This record gives sequence, C-alpha cells and structure tokens, in this order.
Amino acid sequence: MIYAEHLKKEFKKVIKEPGLKGSIKALFKPKKEIVTAVDDINFHVSKGEILGFIGPNGAGKSTVIKMLTGILTPTSGECRINGQIPQNNRQKYVKEIGVVFGQRTQLWWDLPLTETYNVLKEIYEVSDENFKKRMAFLNEVLELEGFIKSPVRTLSLGQRMRADIAASLLHSPKVLFLDEPTIGLDVVVKDNIRNAIMEINKEEQTTVILTTHDISDIELLCKRIVMIDKGKNVFDGDLHELKSKYGQIRELHFETTTKDISNVLAYKEHFNFIDDDISVNVDGNLVNVRFNSSVVPVSEMLKYTLQKIDINDISVKDADIEEIVRRLYKQGV
Amino acid sequence: MKTIKRAFRMHRIFVIQELKRMMEYKGDFIVGIIGFLLGQFFNLLFIWIIFSQIPNLVGWTLEQIVFIYGFSLIPKGLDHLLFDNLWGIGHFIVRKGDFDKYLTRPINPLFHVMVEKLQIDALGELIMGIALICIVLPSLVIEWSFIKIVMILIVIPFATLIYTGIKIATAAIAFWTKRSGNITYMFYMVNDFSKYPINIYNNFVKTIITYIIPFAFTAFYPAYYILTGENPLFNIGVTVLIAIVIMSIGIFIWNRGIKAYESAGS
Amino acid sequence: MRRKFKIYKPFINAGLQEATTYRVNWVFLTLCNVLACFVSYFIWKAVFLSSGSDTMNGFTMPQMVVYIFLMFLTSLLISSGGTYDIGEEIRDGSIAMRMIKPISYNATFLFQELGNKIMTVCILVLPIIIGVEICRTIFTGAIQFNIIGFILYILSCIFAYLINFFFNICFGFIAFVIKYLWGANMMKNCLIGFLSGSVIPFSFLPDILEKIFLLLPFASLNYTPVMIYMGIYSGFEILFYMGLQVFWVVIFWGLSKMLWHIATKHLCVQGG
Repeated sequence: MIYAEHLKKEFKKVIKEPGLKGSIKALFKPKKEIVTAVDDINFHVSKGEILGFIGPNGAGKSTVIKMLTGILTPTSGECRINGQIPQNNRQKYVKEIGVVFGQRTQLWWDLPLTETYNVLKEIYEVSDENFKKRMAFLNEVLELEGFIKSPVRTLSLGQRMRADIAASLLHSPKVLFLDEPTIGLDVVVKDNIRNAIMEINKEEQTTVILTTHDISDIELLCKRIVMIDKGKNVFDGDLHELKSKYGQIRELHFETTTKDISNVLAYKEHFNFIDDDISVNVDGNLVNVRFNSSVVPVSEMLKYTLQKIDINDISVKDADIEEIVRRLYKQGV
Repeated sequence: MKTIKRAFRMHRIFVIQELKRMMEYKGDFIVGIIGFLLGQFFNLLFIWIIFSQIPNLVGWTLEQIVFIYGFSLIPKGLDHLLFDNLWGIGHFIVRKGDFDKYLTRPINPLFHVMVEKLQIDALGELIMGIALICIVLPSLVIEWSFIKIVMILIVIPFATLIYTGIKIATAAIAFWTKRSGNITYMFYMVNDFSKYPINIYNNFVKTIITYIIPFAFTAFYPAYYILTGENPLFNIGVTVLIAIVIMSIGIFIWNRGIKAYESAGS
Repeated sequence: MRRKFKIYKPFINAGLQEATTYRVNWVFLTLCNVLACFVSYFIWKAVFLSSGSDTMNGFTMPQMVVYIFLMFLTSLLISSGGTYDIGEEIRDGSIAMRMIKPISYNATFLFQELGNKIMTVCILVLPIIIGVEICRTIFTGAIQFNIIGFILYILSCIFAYLINFFFNICFGFIAFVIKYLWGANMMKNCLIGFLSGSVIPFSFLPDILEKIFLLLPFASLNYTPVMIYMGIYSGFEILFYMGLQVFWVVIFWGLSKMLWHIATKHLCVQGG
C-alpha cells in the first residue's frame, strides 16, 4: 500500500552568525549549508494498518509526512502510495489521501463548521448522496453534532481537532495522515480522538500514518511503529518486538522503614550492574529501583532486597513504552 | 471545457463563502471600504488643490486628469477585489507554511489561492473610480461609438490581468525567499505613476512604465484612447498583448516557484 | 541607567536582525518607498511648469524638491509600526507573553524599533541628507547646511517619533472593536499623510485650514521637523511648535496609558 524506499531529503539553509556583525554579513553574503533532514528512510505499510511514526523533535517526521503527502519532493529515493508517486500527479493523488496537521487547521476560521464541509465537498467533488452518508458517519464517530453550527474560531482545541479530522475524511480517503493529532489535548479528548481513529480504521480499512509524541497514542492505536532519529530509521517493527528487544526494564517500587538504605543496599556492587542497567531513586521512605531484568532476574532482586531491609509495601512493574523510547532517544541506538 | 465549468463553479462557491464571512464582520468591512474611499478622496483633494492654482497641467484639464485617475481605479479595484489573496503568499502564507494546505487539495493551487478570498475593501476604489468618471463625463467631449464601447469592455479585463499577472509573478518569488510582499509592494508603487498622464514624466520613467513594468497600460493608454479615440491598435491592442505576456510570465514563475517550494519545504 | 539599558539591548539587536533576516525584502521595501517621492517630484515639476511662475505659495521648485525628500526622510525616521497589533494581542490573550516579562511593555517595542531605526539611518538617511544638501548647494550656489538647524531637526524628529509611537499604540486598541485592521489602517495613513503635510505643503491650502492643521497633532509629526530643517521657521516659531510637540507627546502618552489600563482590565474580565 505505502512504500518508502531510500527516501532522502536535503535542505539548503542560510547560516547566520550571531550578533550585529553576523546580521550585516548575512545581508550581503549569506552563507549556505546543506542539511540532511531525512536520510535513507525505508518502510512499508499495508492496507488497513495503523503505523505510528515516532522520534524526537527535529528527527524528520514531518518532512517524511510532507513527502508522502506530495508537498515536498524527495531529493532522492521514492515513495509510492497505492501505486502512485505523489509528486507525479499531485492533484489526482491527493483525492485519495486525507491530511491533518495538528498545529494548523484547514477549517474556515470565521464561519460555522458546516460551511467548511460544504466547500470541501465541492473541492473534492463528493456527490450529494455520498456527502450525506459521510456526514452522518463522521458525526457519529467524531460527535460533531454539538458544535457543527458554531463558527470555527469559537471551538475548543479538542473540538477543532475532531472537526479537522472529519474534514480530512470527507472524501473517504484510502490513507489518512495525522501529524500530531493529539497535541495539546486533555486526556479525555485524546481518548475520544483515539477511539475515533480506531473506529474509522476498523470500519473502512483506512490506512493511517500518525506521528506523535504521546506514547499512549502508540500503545493504544498502533500495532507497528517506525522510529526515526536524526533523519534515519532506528527501529521498525511491532510493539511487542520493541518491548522484548528493549523492554527488559523492570521497576521495583517499595516503601521501607529502614533508614539510610543507600548504605545497606548495594545493588550495583552485589550484582555487578553496569551504569545503564540500574538506577535507584530514593524519596523519603519511598524507593524506586529501575533495572535490566536480563542481567538480573526479578526474583533475585526481590530476594536480595527483602533480605536486607524491612519492607512495608512492594510492587514490580513492566517498564512502559515511554521508558523504552526515552532510552532509545538517549542512546541514539 | 469541464475544467472551466468546474473553475467557475469553484469560484462561485468561494465567493459565496466570502460573502458569508463578511456578514460576520459587517462593521469591519464597512470601515475597510470607507478607508479606501477616503484614501482616494485625499488624492483627489490634492489634484483639486493643485488645479486651483494652475489652469491646466501640461495641457491636461482637471476633468481629463480626473477621468484618467478614475479609470485607473477600475482595473486596479477589480484585481484587488477578486485576487487579493495573492498578497498573502508573499506576506505569510509561504513563510508560515500554510501553503501546504493548497498542495493537499485536488485543485490547482494558483487558482485556489487566487479565488479563495474576496477583498471587499476594493469596492471603495471601484465606487470612487466609477463615480469620478460619471462626474467628469458630462464636461468631457468624447465621441462615442459602438466600437469604442466594445473596446472598453475588452480592455478592462485585460488591464486587470496586468495587475494580476504582476502579482502572481512577484508573489511567487516568496517560494524562494519566503517573503516577497515588499517586492509586490514595490511594483504597486510604480503603479502610482500610471494614475497621471505619462507626458509629465521624463523619458526614463515613461520607458519604464510602458515597456518594463507596463502599468501605463492599466490606465493611461486605455483612458487616452477613450478620451481621444486615437490609435486603438496601440492603446488597446498592446494592452491586451501585454496582459497576455505578463500573465504567462507570472504563471511560468509561479510554476517554477512551486517546484522550488516542493523541493525546499518550509 | 546602564543596567537598565542592558535589559533592553537584546531588543535592539532583535530589531536589527529582523531587518536583515529577510534581506531581499527589506531592500525592496526601502526602494519602493523612494519611488513614491519620484511620483510627487514629477507631478510638482509639471505643476511648476504649468503655473508659469517660479514660486508657488512661497515655494520654489528646488525648495519643493527638498521638501518632498525631507518629508519622506522624516516619515522614515519617525515611523513606528511595532504597536500595530497591540489591541489584537490583548484580545486574543497573547499579550500575556509580554506581560510576564519583568520589563515595560512599551519599552520593548520602543527598543525593538530602535534597532530597526539604526539600520534605516545607516543605509538611507545619510545618503538622502547628503543628496539633499548637495542639491541645495547647487541650486543656491552656497552651502545651506546649518548645524544648529540640523540638531533642532533631530530633536524635533525624536518628539515626532514619540508622538507617532504613542498615537499608534492608542490606534492599535481599535483592534478591540474592529477585528480586521487593514481598512482602518488605510484610513489612518491617508488621513495622516494629508494632515501632516506629506502630500501637499500647508501653504497651498486655504488660510483657515492652514491655521487649523498647524495646531493638530499631525503637523507635529512631519511638518514641524521639516520646516525647522528648511529654515522656514523663525526662532520664536521653533520654540512654539516644539513646545506643541511636547504637549502632544504628553497627551498621547497619557491616553495610551489610560487605554492600556482599560484594556487590561477587560482582559481580566475575559479571563483571557
């Protein structure tokens, strides 16, 4: 369905030295530098899949999305969506995709929401009959009813996002691109939007590519993720794989009555942990130990801990994706 | 044919959308129209004060000057009314990355940008232009003929396209430089020269506004034809020709610009 | 004082850098403003040619040329645009970003513009002044440059700038009422262009209008500095009109404070 092969994108960037001198220099003789925003990205997505596209800020996520949507032309490499190369016949191609940029809106700011849909209906040449059906469906999934008559500028961020997603789906696209669809929203609204995305994906087999910084988006929506950093692929696989590959991290959480535990407990020395594999956090009588369970099994850790100190309460947790991603980002893999 | 029909349909839809938007901010739009009316009013006051001190301006009577001035406002006002959104390209649409929107829609981006907004302020210019012509018409000796009226009807849309073409060309520069609003603005300042008879200028300025940045064809030459009936081939014919050339140049630069945008991004 | 200045130095820098970041644009903007002068120049040339006399209402053609370019120069020097959207910022709440900084709101604008002004002075003002002086010397056969006149001109420009600055702040509050400021701004510019004498010297107007216009704040913007520079005002007149400038600075400063007060109160009510 979607293929990206050796995608590469370079930008020319004008370098400005700081200060007044730099400003004047830039006025007469701008210095240019080539920046590689995306470097040899490969992945493919099958029909009906939801792909999470993650990476730290400036990793090149948006650039990839812009290439896939036909806004930017790759410097080299190729992407094909549904057998089409977006840049070849963009106007035809974009009828098959829907795009939402979380930070921008394509809604008519000063007019009631319905007006936007009426115009988009014309732009995408949706027939009256399909439009009616479509609106009914979107209404049900995204619950637009309550604010569809209000001017867009009066909508809350969550409502606006729902409205924007509906706008991008009006013409029944085969692929939906969501660039940070949950940015800045509260938990309830996030949930709402995630459910809607899931429902649309299930009902219509819409392929979804979404970028996000919110790990719960990924956990709840995506079976597969592609992670990029500094323009390069660093991981491509499903969530379980990521967890089993990097997810040996466990958290030991307990409350103790023993004072000065750092003198009593010496995990690092006792088990010969290396730096990255253990971290201990003490907050009063609450202790949090994060360790790599492939080095030392959980049972050993528990045994050692219980031997050494008095425990009121103890729990063991799986590391969440967030922790994995944090480690991945930090290491740069 | 189908594309043209669709284009008209889309245009109509955008215009209706804009009218609805205006209804939301009636007061603002009235202020806008009055603003432009007032702007023209002060320019005329200037002309009028000057004429109170001199019998004629290098051979032109007050009425003739006002006629040329009034005529100049019509193509300008039409372009301003219909295609003003092009200014946005040079000012912020490209710089803020909002141009992406147009590239994800299945209509020609240039067409989309052009017809998306309606600049109702321009009515101030149009009203003033028409009013001025009506006021001075009775005191002008103009021979009317069927051909002349046809010529006028032809020349107005083409004179308008000179403005539009220049705006497209200069706005498109933003695809490389991110901002080009001031370049468009500069061309518009040149256009100030065209509100007056060109024989008040020296040869250098005359050459510029006739052959380089041919704004003289948006106002002076056609108006001169209407006043005198002289040389329609040049006054009207060349206007049409220049409009076509400028639109072509504009569209050429625009298309190159979009390519640059696609490969440079924001 | 030094410390105080240090806080605002980054703003001057920001203004300077803003002017250079979009360099192509900036050069063009400057060029097109000069063009407008040439339109007036040619019109006046034709007017003098048609009038058949050397002087019109006390102006000779060379004086007129000097007048046009000095008017242009002065409006460059005293222009103030940073406050354009103050009302808009208050209404949409983004003013909060400025209010949380421990510095004066007006001063940040003022210093940011100062940066921009330095650029203008370096690139435009000096060449124009030199050009104007060369013209004056050629036309009259003697050097006309008068250092005291020039210093008074600069002083008068500073007052004019302050009037403009506070006036624009007051004007910016219109955004409370009108969302879309383009038309209102157009109206303002036309009005100021005419009432400040940029379009036509007041001596061309009927007597009564001339007297009224001279007392309005707009004459304190461009007209007063230019008249001082050209040596048209006598010693007493200079004193009177500069006094008037100070008066208007105080009035608009007070007015802007008042509006600010009202507007921010409104902000609290809205919970913006």
